[in-house]
Amino acid sequence: MASSRPDAERRAARSNPLDPAGPDGRASLERLLAQALGQAVRVLRVTALSGGASSLTWAVDAEASGAARRFILQRAATDAHGLPRGLQAEVMRRAGRLGVPVPPVIAVTSPDHPLGEAVVTGFVDGEALAPRWLRQPEYAAARARLVEDCANALARLHAAPLQYWQGLPLSGGSGEELLHQQFETYRRIGVDVPAFDLAFAWLEPRMPRDPPSVLVHGDFRSGNFLVSHAGLAAVLDWEIPHFSVPAEDLGWLCAQAWRFGQWRLPVGGFATREALLQAYRAAGGRIDPEELHVWEVFANLRWGMSCLVLADDHVSGRVPSVERAAIGRRVSEVAADLVHIIAFGEL
Amino acid sequence: MSHPTAPQLLEAVGLFLKEAEAALTGRLAFHARVAANVVAIVVRELAQDPDAAEARALSPWGGGAAVCRALREGRLDPQDPELLAALREAVLARLAVDNPRYATFERLKARPVIAR
Repeated sequence: MASSRPDAERRAARSNPLDPAGPDGRASLERLLAQALGQAVRVLRVTALSGGASSLTWAVDAEASGAARRFILQRAATDAHGLPRGLQAEVMRRAGRLGVPVPPVIAVTSPDHPLGEAVVTGFVDGEALAPRWLRQPEYAAARARLVEDCANALARLHAAPLQYWQGLPLSGGSGEELLHQQFETYRRIGVDVPAFDLAFAWLEPRMPRDPPSVLVHGDFRSGNFLVSHAGLAAVLDWEIPHFSVPAEDLGWLCAQAWRFGQWRLPVGGFATREALLQAYRAAGGRIDPEELHVWEVFANLRWGMSCLVLADDHVSGRVPSVERAAIGRRVSEVAADLVHIIAFGEL
Repeated sequence: MSHPTAPQLLEAVGLFLKEAEAALTGRLAFHARVAANVVAIVVRELAQDPDAAEARALSPWGGGAAVCRALREGRLDPQDPELLAALREAVLARLAVDNPRYATFERLKARPVIAR
């Protein structure tokens, strides 16, 4: 249907998609869901949820053949840095078939759909705000088993051979190549951060040269989990999966930025590195502490580079935003973390 | 000197942003909080001058940009204790302005690098 619309209208939809909570947006959503589910759907309520830095999220309450159903609609922001939504959804579907807990994908729309480029998934109950599930007593049991749940999810994702992802235009590289990509971005932005150069120089001889062996989630961290009272309910935000080695995902989970102040538990603020490596090994994977350490240094540098890139969105005028300007000063946090981890061998 | 001074003007903006945050919701309330935080950073920066502190700490190597160049060209060892001790001073000076409540600030402050 969309393909019969004139180009001008399609371009308008691309730059100015319908508000899913408005009457036209809801009607469009009803058609989309009816087609995906093969039954009549009535949308009862659409509620905007707070989104991440690069997405817009709504909860959709609907009725399909008399039964109440709940969905999540996520649209890509126009200034997003991640993969196209449709590609993310396909990675999620395939990860789900490996036994990684992910929300079920219901429908995917292309950028010229009236609702814009979006993904509809089934609603999964759980707490998305890490500071809550990290601190509130009712999540104590979930926290206790979370390291095992995370290790299982990662081991399942990493058990798939590269051919499993055939046909998907995903990129990646060896550790050394990933480091060089970060360095190119750093020089393109053109600022001088001595602690970043320290980390680049320290990592250069240490990053693995082996070619990528698996698909990594790429953003596997506390802020991207849905946690129920029973543990890890779903892994969200498949925005930057890429080909690498398993230790990259584990190192990323150890970066300081998502410990939310619980720095004595370096794995996302909820576990020790030893517990993570042991659980990962019990789940069939194997990584040694030295390899994890190198990827942890890389993870902190990569997070610092994200701060620099987001700040540059503001400084360059691409995305003028107080939030992106402010994140630039988080570079100082990462600089301190990098000096600590390189000077003392731990963080 | 102007009356009010630049820091006094910024403190007034910070107070206004706190008030605005309470009256706003969602994304705008969040941005008001971020903006108040930005104002607090500028107030601290006017009082502390972290650029000068970094230049001072890294002066034996010719300053921050020169340290970056030397590390890029492999002329400086990233595990040199003298360099790490100086970088520790420099990053602490910046973090004291940008986020003195960050956990690593106290940790790093309490742990000197033992230079040769």
